[in-house]
Amino acid sequence: MKAYVTASGVISPQRTHDTHGFPEHVYETVANRMQCLEPDYQTMINPLQLRRMPRILKMGLASAKICLERAGNIDPDAIIVGTGLGCLDNLEKFLLDMLDKDERITSVLPFINSTHNAVASQIAMDLQNYGYNYTYCHRALSFESALQDALMHVSEKPAASVLVGGIDECTDDFVRLHDYLGFWKHPVNNLDLFREPGSGTIAGEGSAFFLLSGRPHNEETVLLQAVQTLFMPEGNADPETVAAELDLFLADNDTTPSDLDVVILGLSGDHHDDYIYRQLRRNYFAPETSYAGFKHLCGEYYTAPAFAFWLGTTIIKGQHVPAVVLRDSEQKDVIDRILIYNHFKNTEHGLMLLTRAKEGSV
Amino acid sequence: MPRRVFVTGMGIISAAGIGTGAILESINHLKTGIGKLSLFPSRHDHLPVAEVKRTNAELTVLAGIDRNRDIYSRNALLALIAAEQAYGCRTFRKVPDHRTGLVMATTVGGMDLNERCYHSLKRDGTYRDYVRVFDSADCTEKVAIRFGIKNYVSTISTACSSSANAIMLGARLIRNNKLDRVLAGGSDALTKFTLNGFHALEILSPTGCRPFDRDRNGLTIGEGAALVMLESEVSADPEYVLCEITGYANVNEAYHQTASSPGGKGAYMAMEQAVAAASLKPVDIDYINAHGTGTEVNDLAEGKAIGDLFGDRIPAVSSTKAFTGHTLGAAGAMEAVLSTLAIVHQIVLPGLNFEVPMPELSFVPVQQKDHAEIHHVISNSFGFGGNNTSLVLSRA
Repeated sequence: MKAYVTASGVISPQRTHDTHGFPEHVYETVANRMQCLEPDYQTMINPLQLRRMPRILKMGLASAKICLERAGNIDPDAIIVGTGLGCLDNLEKFLLDMLDKDERITSVLPFINSTHNAVASQIAMDLQNYGYNYTYCHRALSFESALQDALMHVSEKPAASVLVGGIDECTDDFVRLHDYLGFWKHPVNNLDLFREPGSGTIAGEGSAFFLLSGRPHNEETVLLQAVQTLFMPEGNADPETVAAELDLFLADNDTTPSDLDVVILGLSGDHHDDYIYRQLRRNYFAPETSYAGFKHLCGEYYTAPAFAFWLGTTIIKGQHVPAVVLRDSEQKDVIDRILIYNHFKNTEHGLMLLTRAKEGSV
Repeated sequence: MPRRVFVTGMGIISAAGIGTGAILESINHLKTGIGKLSLFPSRHDHLPVAEVKRTNAELTVLAGIDRNRDIYSRNALLALIAAEQAYGCRTFRKVPDHRTGLVMATTVGGMDLNERCYHSLKRDGTYRDYVRVFDSADCTEKVAIRFGIKNYVSTISTACSSSANAIMLGARLIRNNKLDRVLAGGSDALTKFTLNGFHALEILSPTGCRPFDRDRNGLTIGEGAALVMLESEVSADPEYVLCEITGYANVNEAYHQTASSPGGKGAYMAMEQAVAAASLKPVDIDYINAHGTGTEVNDLAEGKAIGDLFGDRIPAVSSTKAFTGHTLGAAGAMEAVLSTLAIVHQIVLPGLNFEVPMPELSFVPVQQKDHAEIHHVISNSFGFGGNNTSLVLSRA
């Protein structure tokens, strides 16, 4: 159950949609929210459709198309999307229309577009793809669930290609409602996120799609080895428990902590939430391993692990850990193995293991 | 050799009854769960709906919840009640904890609370703690906490095929030897949001749905939850085996965000592939529990697809939505439970409200409960975004 990562298409708060590799310029802002740098959709999406298409569908469709084009226009056997909150903006629109107008609905379009699987079905319609089409909506496990399904597909049918993505949009109301719960820091420079003391993080968003294949198509260099999710409601998750789960996960994949060249951690800048990462680094991972954070580049959102996945593939391909993601550590000369570990509020935990593909490695 | 997947437990709460016994009783007496809206005030209260006739306070007691410990949406209460029936009522053979998983499905999650407090929440943060329970995963996590499931917990949302897909995923996780036991199903509470959405789409029936009738006039929205316990051979106690999941298929019609293609292409592909996946032929199918919403478009597309696939040997067909209403994210699991009952009791389930055959179709739906040899059943679930799923359930 391994898969080649054939291509990616990413729209994020960084300039990722038209760059290969890590972008040269890193986007900085002073805010408690990061928004996507969106491409000009005119060249990718039919203008007639574009006019009425909600932003999240544009982001999803465009990043999927960028990914497939880079993969050599492969028609995927399956389309699997992870989205924590789905088409949130349209859900809010329809809800407010209904509440404000006392159930005299002015437009049904936001209702149609509020369905969580609208992104996956929009992609299927655009590609005229009749294959398997799933949407996972489980908070911070949404993208990892989609990846697990993709790996299962490849194991059921080794020749299969699976388009898999993680997508979430940030809205004004989302930021406002979660501000009441103390989710965000006061406006802060995103590049200083990990240096800001106290609680809270920066809200983010993004759409990252990948083509996974059981067999290599081009000269793939990155392999997805394994994905594991864990649900540990607050109180159950402490660094020792997570370390025990990591042991099992790594052992299942014939890996020890010292084999890991880079560990990408879901550091969010929230002192409480980052405690597990700090403890694991101190007591579990090997001292020579490099550490990277990523949420200062994309913000916190349920499918942020999809951005980390892109970062991991980029690091392996380029054999380079960009200085802006390195956390108080050095880069190793050769990067063969990357672990991505993310958790959300000590509740949903996701583990992903990427390796550098070698001849005959599947 | 792929591993076999058995249904060894099930739970259901719907307008037509709480528990499999009650719902079977309603079906035996041709008693619909469809009636008048009472859960919330609405401009559309003249439209019939299929409510679970219990207040949230009553559901809280049924779900065995200590008061004030946490915030429960109606959706989560329904799910917990059905989950208890499927999982909580008996002891299981011991399998390692990490071999048990949970896959739930919903379309609008905690919307019933969201729509009640959104305004005051947005204005000044009143009810701020409710924000945590609006999404699709909240209900799943509450069920996971109840049963201590932690190694595979996920939620699917593919509109009205959601919980059929949850069952299909559960079966795949077992077949692929990822897990031995999966609790799978879905839930959706009746909400103003969905009532208004379907009303705005102009597909709600003013009289109560009439699946596969020439004069059908739309769907009736319902609520509820249903879950099945799926187990591998390793885990399943033969004494509890109710049926086997032998086939499944999910396809996308790639036609329209809300409407099915007139020819029923998606329905055809889903049924054909599911039957093939079960290593069966169409002629082996004894009963189809249809998606059968009672809308102009669905019943025509699905009916045509049935005609095309089964030719002159069309099995018994009915839609049980005339009893339960269309329960959206719960529908697929609810109908899998009903299909299991058809196998266990060796009966074909009737529909309701049928009078005049559709001129386009060569079959009419079953109208009376009939004893019959039931070896293989197809359960269809189709959703927005062209998401079509068929499950094949077989006598074990």
